[in-house]
Amino acid sequence: MKLSRWLPQVVLCSTWLALGPIASAHHSTAMFEWGKEKSLTGTIERYEWTQPHTFLWVVVPRGQGRTQEWGLEGMSPSWLGRRGWSRHSLAAGDKVMIVYYPLKDGRPGGFYVRVTTPDGHTLAALPQRSQ
Amino acid sequence: MTRTRMRAAPVAVGAMVLVVGCGSQGTPSATQSTAPPLAPIAENPYASLARLPDWSGVWEPTFSPRPRARQGGPAPPKLTAAYAAQYAKFQQKNRTTPGINFVSDVASCVPPGVPQSMQEPYPIEFLFTPGRVTILIETYSLVRRIYTDGRPAPADPDPTYQGTSVGHWEGDTLVVETSAILPETSPLNGINGHSDKFHVTERMRLVKPDLLEVTTTRVDPAVFVEPYTTSSYYRRHRDWQIMEYVCQQNNHDALDAQGKPAFSLKHNPGE
Repeated sequence: MKLSRWLPQVVLCSTWLALGPIASAHHSTAMFEWGKEKSLTGTIERYEWTQPHTFLWVVVPRGQGRTQEWGLEGMSPSWLGRRGWSRHSLAAGDKVMIVYYPLKDGRPGGFYVRVTTPDGHTLAALPQRSQ
Repeated sequence: MTRTRMRAAPVAVGAMVLVVGCGSQGTPSATQSTAPPLAPIAENPYASLARLPDWSGVWEPTFSPRPRARQGGPAPPKLTAAYAAQYAKFQQKNRTTPGINFVSDVASCVPPGVPQSMQEPYPIEFLFTPGRVTILIETYSLVRRIYTDGRPAPADPDPTYQGTSVGHWEGDTLVVETSAILPETSPLNGINGHSDKFHVTERMRLVKPDLLEVTTTRVDPAVFVEPYTTSSYYRRHRDWQIMEYVCQQNNHDALDAQGKPAFSLKHNPGE
Protein backbone atom coordinates (compact mmCIF):
# COMPACT_ATOMS: atom_id res chain seq x y z
CA MET A 1 0.00 0.00 0.00
CA LYS A 2 2.80 2.34 0.90
CA LEU A 3 4.53 1.43 -2.33
CA SER A 4 1.50 2.45 -4.30
CA ARG A 5 1.58 5.85 -2.61
CA TRP A 6 5.16 6.80 -3.27
CA LEU A 7 5.79 4.99 -6.51
CA PRO A 8 4.01 7.55 -8.72
CA GLN A 9 6.13 10.30 -7.18
CA VAL A 10 9.31 8.38 -7.84
CA VAL A 11 8.24 7.79 -11.40
CA LEU A 12 7.35 11.46 -11.89
CA CYS A 13 10.58 12.57 -10.31
CA SER A 14 12.58 10.24 -12.55
CA THR A 15 10.69 11.55 -15.53
CA TRP A 16 11.50 15.10 -14.53
CA LEU A 17 15.17 14.28 -14.15
CA ALA A 18 15.23 12.51 -17.48
CA LEU A 19 13.51 15.40 -19.22
CA GLY A 20 15.64 18.08 -17.59
CA PRO A 21 18.44 18.15 -20.11
CA ILE A 22 16.13 17.91 -23.12
CA ALA A 23 13.51 20.30 -21.80
CA SER A 24 14.90 22.94 -24.07
CA ALA A 25 14.62 21.01 -27.29
CA HIS A 26 17.03 22.54 -29.67
CA HIS A 27 19.60 24.33 -27.57
CA SER A 28 21.52 23.96 -24.33
CA THR A 29 19.96 25.16 -21.08
CA ALA A 30 23.35 26.46 -19.97
CA MET A 31 22.25 30.10 -20.27
CA PHE A 32 19.72 29.66 -17.43
CA GLU A 33 20.18 28.92 -13.76
CA TRP A 34 18.31 25.72 -14.47
CA GLY A 35 16.42 24.49 -11.40
CA LYS A 36 16.69 27.75 -9.41
CA GLU A 37 13.10 28.92 -9.09
CA LYS A 38 12.37 32.64 -8.91
CA SER A 39 9.02 34.35 -9.31
CA LEU A 40 7.60 37.58 -10.63
CA THR A 41 4.17 39.18 -10.86
CA GLY A 42 3.19 41.26 -13.84
CA THR A 43 0.88 41.80 -16.77
CA ILE A 44 1.11 39.76 -19.96
CA GLU A 45 2.05 42.01 -22.86
CA ARG A 46 2.40 39.33 -25.53
CA TYR A 47 1.96 35.57 -25.47
CA GLU A 48 3.67 34.00 -28.49
CA TRP A 49 2.47 30.47 -29.29
CA THR A 50 5.39 29.73 -31.60
CA GLN A 51 8.09 27.20 -32.48
CA PRO A 52 10.74 26.37 -31.46
CA HIS A 53 9.66 27.94 -28.16
CA THR A 54 6.72 29.81 -26.77
CA PHE A 55 7.61 33.25 -25.49
CA LEU A 56 6.01 35.41 -22.81
CA TRP A 57 6.51 39.16 -22.69
CA VAL A 58 5.56 40.49 -19.27
CA VAL A 59 5.43 44.05 -17.94
CA VAL A 60 6.59 44.04 -14.33
CA PRO A 61 6.00 47.04 -12.05
CA ARG A 62 9.19 48.46 -10.54
CA GLY A 63 7.64 51.05 -8.19
CA GLN A 64 7.05 54.78 -8.63
CA GLY A 65 5.08 54.10 -11.79
CA ARG A 66 8.02 52.57 -13.58
CA THR A 67 7.90 49.20 -15.29
CA GLN A 68 10.35 46.72 -16.79
CA GLU A 69 9.70 44.36 -19.67
CA TRP A 70 10.68 40.71 -19.14
CA GLY A 71 11.09 38.06 -21.85
CA LEU A 72 10.51 34.47 -20.79
CA GLU A 73 11.06 31.50 -23.04
CA GLY A 74 9.04 28.32 -22.54
CA MET A 75 8.50 24.88 -23.93
CA SER A 76 7.22 24.59 -27.48
CA PRO A 77 3.63 24.16 -28.65
CA SER A 78 4.81 20.60 -29.44
CA TRP A 79 5.19 19.96 -25.71
CA LEU A 80 2.69 22.33 -24.09
CA GLY A 81 -0.02 21.73 -26.68
CA ARG A 82 -0.17 18.05 -25.73
CA ARG A 83 -0.41 18.85 -22.01
CA GLY A 84 -3.43 21.09 -21.70
CA TRP A 85 -2.05 24.38 -23.01
CA SER A 86 -3.25 26.19 -26.10
CA ARG A 87 -2.73 29.54 -27.76
CA HIS A 88 -5.69 30.73 -25.68
CA SER A 89 -4.20 29.77 -22.29
CA LEU A 90 -2.88 33.29 -21.71
CA ALA A 91 -3.75 36.64 -23.23
CA ALA A 92 -2.45 40.19 -23.24
CA GLY A 93 -3.68 42.01 -20.15
CA ASP A 94 -3.73 38.94 -17.87
CA LYS A 95 -2.19 39.62 -14.47
CA VAL A 96 -0.08 36.58 -13.69
CA MET A 97 2.43 35.15 -11.23
CA ILE A 98 5.22 33.34 -13.03
CA VAL A 99 7.80 30.96 -11.63
CA TYR A 100 10.89 30.92 -13.85
CA TYR A 101 14.55 29.95 -14.06
CA PRO A 102 16.55 33.18 -14.47
CA LEU A 103 19.16 34.01 -17.07
CA LYS A 104 22.68 33.74 -15.69
CA ASP A 105 23.74 37.04 -17.21
CA GLY A 106 21.26 39.12 -15.19
CA ARG A 107 19.16 40.41 -18.09
CA PRO A 108 15.38 40.47 -17.47
CA GLY A 109 14.66 37.07 -18.94
CA GLY A 110 14.51 33.36 -18.23
CA PHE A 111 12.60 30.14 -18.82
CA TYR A 112 9.06 29.94 -17.43
CA VAL A 113 8.24 26.92 -15.29
CA ARG A 114 4.61 27.56 -14.27
CA VAL A 115 2.09 30.37 -14.53
CA THR A 116 -0.73 31.24 -12.12
CA THR A 117 -3.59 32.99 -13.91
CA PRO A 118 -5.96 35.63 -12.45
CA ASP A 119 -8.50 32.96 -11.46
CA GLY A 120 -5.87 31.25 -9.31
CA HIS A 121 -5.31 28.35 -11.68
CA THR A 122 -1.72 27.20 -12.10
CA LEU A 123 -0.49 25.88 -15.44
CA ALA A 124 2.62 23.69 -15.34
CA ALA A 125 4.98 24.48 -18.19
CA LEU A 126 7.62 21.84 -17.43
CA PRO A 127 7.43 18.29 -16.06
CA GLN A 128 6.95 18.67 -12.30
CA ARG A 129 9.32 17.35 -9.64
CA SER A 130 6.35 15.81 -7.84
CA GLN A 131 2.61 16.15 -8.11
CA MET B 1 10.60 -14.99 -48.17
CA THR B 2 8.37 -11.98 -47.97
CA ARG B 3 9.43 -10.87 -51.40
CA THR B 4 8.68 -14.26 -52.92
CA ARG B 5 5.23 -14.13 -51.44
CA MET B 6 4.64 -10.65 -52.78
CA ARG B 7 5.57 -11.66 -56.32
CA ALA B 8 3.40 -14.77 -56.31
CA ALA B 9 0.26 -12.87 -55.39
CA PRO B 10 -0.18 -10.80 -58.60
CA VAL B 11 0.14 -13.94 -60.74
CA ALA B 12 -2.65 -15.64 -58.83
CA VAL B 13 -4.92 -12.63 -59.15
CA GLY B 14 -4.15 -12.35 -62.87
CA ALA B 15 -5.05 -16.01 -63.40
CA MET B 16 -8.38 -15.52 -61.65
CA VAL B 17 -9.22 -12.59 -63.86
CA LEU B 18 -8.45 -14.64 -66.99
CA VAL B 19 -10.70 -17.49 -65.85
CA VAL B 20 -13.57 -15.10 -65.25
CA GLY B 21 -12.92 -13.50 -68.64
CA CYS B 22 -13.14 -16.94 -70.43
CA GLY B 23 -16.39 -17.78 -68.67
CA SER B 24 -18.08 -14.64 -69.91
CA GLN B 25 -17.27 -15.23 -73.57
CA GLY B 26 -20.44 -17.25 -74.30
CA THR B 27 -22.13 -14.50 -76.28
CA PRO B 28 -19.40 -12.39 -77.85
CA SER B 29 -20.50 -9.14 -79.42
CA ALA B 30 -18.83 -7.68 -82.49
CA THR B 31 -16.97 -5.11 -80.47
CA GLN B 32 -15.70 -7.68 -77.99
CA SER B 33 -14.36 -9.95 -80.71
CA THR B 34 -12.19 -7.18 -82.14
CA ALA B 35 -10.93 -6.02 -78.75
CA PRO B 36 -7.34 -6.92 -77.90
CA PRO B 37 -6.95 -9.84 -75.49
CA LEU B 38 -7.14 -8.90 -71.83
CA ALA B 39 -3.75 -8.41 -70.25
CA PRO B 40 -3.36 -9.95 -66.81
CA ILE B 41 -4.28 -7.33 -64.22
CA ALA B 42 -1.49 -6.81 -61.76
CA GLU B 43 -2.37 -6.75 -58.10
CA ASN B 44 -3.03 -3.25 -56.87
CA PRO B 45 0.32 -2.47 -55.24
CA TYR B 46 -1.49 -0.93 -52.28
CA ALA B 47 -2.90 -4.39 -51.43
CA SER B 48 0.63 -5.42 -50.41
CA LEU B 49 0.44 -2.96 -47.51
CA ALA B 50 -2.06 -5.21 -45.74
CA ARG B 51 0.82 -7.57 -44.95
CA LEU B 52 2.71 -4.91 -42.99
CA PRO B 53 2.35 -4.33 -39.25
CA ASP B 54 0.11 -1.50 -38.02
CA TRP B 55 2.36 1.45 -37.16
CA SER B 56 -0.36 4.07 -37.55
CA GLY B 57 -0.69 6.88 -35.07
CA VAL B 58 1.97 9.20 -33.75
CA TRP B 59 5.02 7.95 -31.84
CA GLU B 60 6.43 9.90 -28.91
CA PRO B 61 10.03 9.31 -27.85
CA THR B 62 10.09 7.82 -24.40
CA PHE B 63 12.71 7.04 -21.82
CA SER B 64 13.96 3.83 -20.24
CA PRO B 65 10.86 1.69 -20.62
CA ARG B 66 12.90 -1.48 -20.35
CA PRO B 67 14.68 -2.80 -17.27
CA ARG B 68 18.05 -3.12 -18.98
CA ALA B 69 17.98 0.52 -20.05
CA ARG B 70 17.09 1.61 -16.50
CA GLN B 71 20.22 -0.10 -15.19
CA GLY B 72 22.60 2.44 -16.62
CA GLY B 73 21.81 2.34 -20.31
CA PRO B 74 24.14 1.12 -23.03
CA ALA B 75 27.87 0.66 -22.61
CA PRO B 76 29.90 3.71 -23.66
CA PRO B 77 31.14 3.77 -27.25
CA LYS B 78 34.68 2.69 -28.09
CA LEU B 79 36.05 5.67 -29.95
CA THR B 80 39.15 6.44 -31.96
CA ALA B 81 41.64 8.80 -30.33
CA ALA B 82 40.52 11.68 -32.52
CA TYR B 83 36.97 11.54 -31.15
CA ALA B 84 37.56 10.12 -27.66
CA ALA B 85 38.81 13.46 -26.35
CA GLN B 86 35.77 15.50 -27.39
CA TYR B 87 33.41 12.81 -26.11
CA ALA B 88 35.20 12.70 -22.73
CA LYS B 89 34.93 16.48 -22.49
CA PHE B 90 31.20 16.26 -23.18
CA GLN B 91 30.73 13.53 -20.55
CA GLN B 92 32.68 15.54 -18.00
CA LYS B 93 30.57 18.64 -18.65
CA ASN B 94 27.39 16.59 -18.41
CA ARG B 95 28.42 15.28 -14.99
CA THR B 96 29.52 18.59 -13.52
CA THR B 97 26.83 20.80 -15.02
CA PRO B 98 23.73 18.87 -16.10
CA GLY B 99 21.97 20.61 -18.94
CA ILE B 100 25.15 21.81 -20.57
CA ASN B 101 25.39 20.31 -24.01
CA PHE B 102 27.76 20.94 -26.79
CA VAL B 103 26.88 24.20 -28.39
CA SER B 104 25.51 23.08 -31.69
CA ASP B 105 24.24 24.43 -34.96
CA VAL B 106 20.79 23.07 -34.17
CA ALA B 107 20.34 26.09 -31.86
CA SER B 108 20.51 28.16 -35.06
CA CYS B 109 17.89 25.91 -36.64
CA VAL B 110 20.28 23.78 -38.71
CA PRO B 111 18.62 20.37 -38.41
CA PRO B 112 20.28 17.24 -37.01
CA GLY B 113 21.17 14.39 -39.35
CA VAL B 114 20.47 10.67 -39.10
CA PRO B 115 20.46 9.12 -36.54
CA GLN B 116 20.14 12.07 -34.12
CA SER B 117 17.07 13.35 -35.97
CA MET B 118 15.23 10.25 -34.72
CA GLN B 119 15.98 11.13 -31.11
CA GLU B 120 14.57 14.62 -30.87
CA PRO B 121 12.00 15.21 -28.13
CA TYR B 122 8.91 15.53 -30.33
CA PRO B 123 7.06 12.72 -32.07
CA ILE B 124 7.47 10.94 -35.37
CA GLU B 125 5.00 9.34 -37.77
CA PHE B 126 5.26 6.51 -40.31
CA LEU B 127 3.58 6.43 -43.70
CA PHE B 128 3.53 3.16 -45.65
CA THR B 129 3.08 3.34 -49.41
CA PRO B 130 3.99 0.61 -51.90
CA GLY B 131 7.74 0.10 -51.95
CA ARG B 132 8.43 2.89 -49.52
CA VAL B 133 8.28 3.94 -45.89
CA THR B 134 8.25 7.65 -45.12
CA ILE B 135 9.10 8.94 -41.66
CA LEU B 136 7.84 12.38 -40.73
CA ILE B 137 9.80 13.92 -37.86
CA GLU B 138 8.04 16.78 -36.08
CA THR B 139 11.16 18.48 -34.70
CA TYR B 140 12.58 20.61 -37.55
CA SER B 141 9.85 19.18 -39.87
CA LEU B 142 12.13 16.53 -41.35
CA VAL B 143 11.28 13.80 -43.85
CA ARG B 144 13.05 10.47 -44.34
CA ARG B 145 12.31 8.50 -47.50
CA ILE B 146 13.14 4.80 -47.15
CA TYR B 147 12.81 2.81 -50.37
CA THR B 148 11.73 -0.77 -49.71
CA ASP B 149 11.18 -1.77 -53.35
CA GLY B 150 14.42 -3.72 -53.58
CA ARG B 151 16.50 -1.07 -55.29
CA PRO B 152 20.17 -1.00 -54.29
CA ALA B 153 21.56 2.00 -52.45
CA PRO B 154 22.75 4.52 -55.05
CA ALA B 155 26.49 4.44 -55.73
CA ASP B 156 27.47 8.02 -55.00
CA PRO B 157 24.60 10.18 -53.79
CA ASP B 158 25.10 13.74 -52.60
CA PRO B 159 25.52 13.83 -48.82
CA THR B 160 22.44 15.18 -47.02
CA TYR B 161 21.29 15.62 -43.43
CA GLN B 162 18.95 12.63 -43.55
CA GLY B 163 21.23 10.64 -45.85
CA THR B 164 20.06 8.14 -48.44
CA SER B 165 18.06 5.19 -47.16
CA VAL B 166 17.00 1.82 -48.50
CA GLY B 167 15.16 -0.71 -46.38
CA HIS B 168 13.57 -4.12 -46.33
CA TRP B 169 11.17 -6.02 -44.13
CA GLU B 170 12.34 -9.04 -42.15
CA GLY B 171 8.99 -10.30 -40.95
CA ASP B 172 7.56 -7.42 -38.94
CA THR B 173 10.94 -5.69 -38.51
CA LEU B 174 11.87 -2.84 -40.83
CA VAL B 175 15.62 -2.78 -41.47
CA VAL B 176 16.90 0.57 -42.75
CA GLU B 177 20.37 1.18 -44.17
CA THR B 178 21.44 4.82 -44.41
CA SER B 179 24.59 6.36 -45.80
CA ALA B 180 25.68 9.63 -47.48
CA ILE B 181 25.01 11.59 -44.29
CA LEU B 182 26.61 15.04 -44.17
CA PRO B 183 29.92 14.75 -42.29
CA GLU B 184 29.30 17.86 -40.17
CA THR B 185 26.32 16.25 -38.43
CA SER B 186 26.49 14.50 -35.07
CA PRO B 187 26.59 10.67 -35.09
CA LEU B 188 25.97 10.48 -31.31
CA ASN B 189 25.12 12.99 -28.59
CA GLY B 190 28.47 14.42 -27.53
CA ILE B 191 30.29 13.88 -30.84
CA ASN B 192 30.39 16.45 -33.59
CA GLY B 193 31.25 15.29 -37.09
CA HIS B 194 32.12 12.01 -38.78
CA SER B 195 33.65 10.76 -42.03
CA ASP B 196 31.95 10.07 -45.35
CA LYS B 197 32.08 6.35 -44.44
CA PHE B 198 29.46 6.82 -41.70
CA HIS B 199 26.76 4.18 -42.08
CA VAL B 200 23.67 3.67 -39.94
CA THR B 201 21.59 0.49 -39.66
CA GLU B 202 18.27 0.77 -37.87
CA ARG B 203 16.03 -2.13 -36.92
CA MET B 204 12.50 -0.98 -36.13
CA ARG B 205 9.84 -3.22 -34.61
CA LEU B 206 6.98 -3.29 -32.15
CA VAL B 207 8.01 -4.78 -28.81
CA LYS B 208 4.52 -4.18 -27.35
CA PRO B 209 1.34 -3.20 -29.18
CA ASP B 210 2.03 0.51 -28.55
CA LEU B 211 5.80 0.50 -27.99
CA LEU B 212 8.18 0.77 -30.93
CA GLU B 213 11.86 -0.08 -30.58
CA VAL B 214 14.51 1.35 -32.88
CA THR B 215 17.91 -0.28 -32.53
CA THR B 216 20.55 1.93 -34.12
CA THR B 217 24.00 0.69 -35.13
CA ARG B 218 26.61 3.26 -36.12
CA VAL B 219 29.64 2.31 -38.20
CA ASP B 220 32.44 4.72 -39.08
CA PRO B 221 36.09 3.63 -38.81
CA ALA B 222 37.11 7.26 -38.33
CA VAL B 223 34.96 7.59 -35.19
CA PHE B 224 34.04 4.19 -33.76
CA VAL B 225 36.59 1.44 -33.07
CA GLU B 226 33.72 -1.04 -33.35
CA PRO B 227 30.07 -0.68 -34.38
CA TYR B 228 28.10 1.13 -31.67
CA THR B 229 24.49 0.18 -31.01
CA THR B 230 21.86 1.91 -28.90
CA SER B 231 18.09 1.46 -28.60
CA SER B 232 15.39 4.11 -28.59
CA TYR B 233 11.74 3.66 -27.74
CA TYR B 234 8.58 5.40 -28.88
CA ARG B 235 5.12 5.25 -27.35
CA ARG B 236 2.05 5.32 -29.61
CA HIS B 237 -0.58 8.06 -29.36
CA ARG B 238 -3.36 7.26 -31.80
CA ASP B 239 -5.17 10.54 -31.14
CA TRP B 240 -2.17 12.87 -31.65
CA GLN B 241 -1.30 14.71 -34.83
CA ILE B 242 2.11 15.84 -35.98
CA MET B 243 2.37 19.60 -35.50
CA GLU B 244 4.10 22.12 -37.71
CA TYR B 245 7.60 23.01 -36.51
CA VAL B 246 9.32 25.88 -38.27
CA CYS B 247 12.42 26.55 -36.21
CA GLN B 248 12.95 30.01 -37.67
CA GLN B 249 9.46 31.16 -36.64
CA ASN B 250 10.55 32.65 -33.32
CA ASN B 251 14.04 31.47 -32.45
CA HIS B 252 15.65 33.55 -29.71
CA ASP B 253 18.59 31.17 -29.37
CA ALA B 254 20.62 31.45 -32.56
CA LEU B 255 24.35 31.23 -31.89
CA ASP B 256 26.10 34.51 -31.08
CA ALA B 257 29.57 35.60 -32.18
CA GLN B 258 31.10 33.33 -29.53
CA GLY B 259 29.08 30.35 -30.81
CA LYS B 260 26.75 30.23 -27.82
CA PRO B 261 22.94 30.49 -27.91
CA ALA B 262 22.28 34.21 -27.68
CA PHE B 263 18.89 34.33 -25.93
CA SER B 264 17.83 37.43 -27.81
CA LEU B 265 15.46 39.78 -25.99
CA LYS B 266 14.36 41.38 -29.25
CA HIS B 267 10.67 41.08 -30.06
CA ASN B 268 11.49 39.83 -33.54
CA PRO B 269 14.76 37.98 -33.08
CA GLY B 270 15.07 37.00 -36.75
CA GLU B 271 15.18 40.61 -37.97
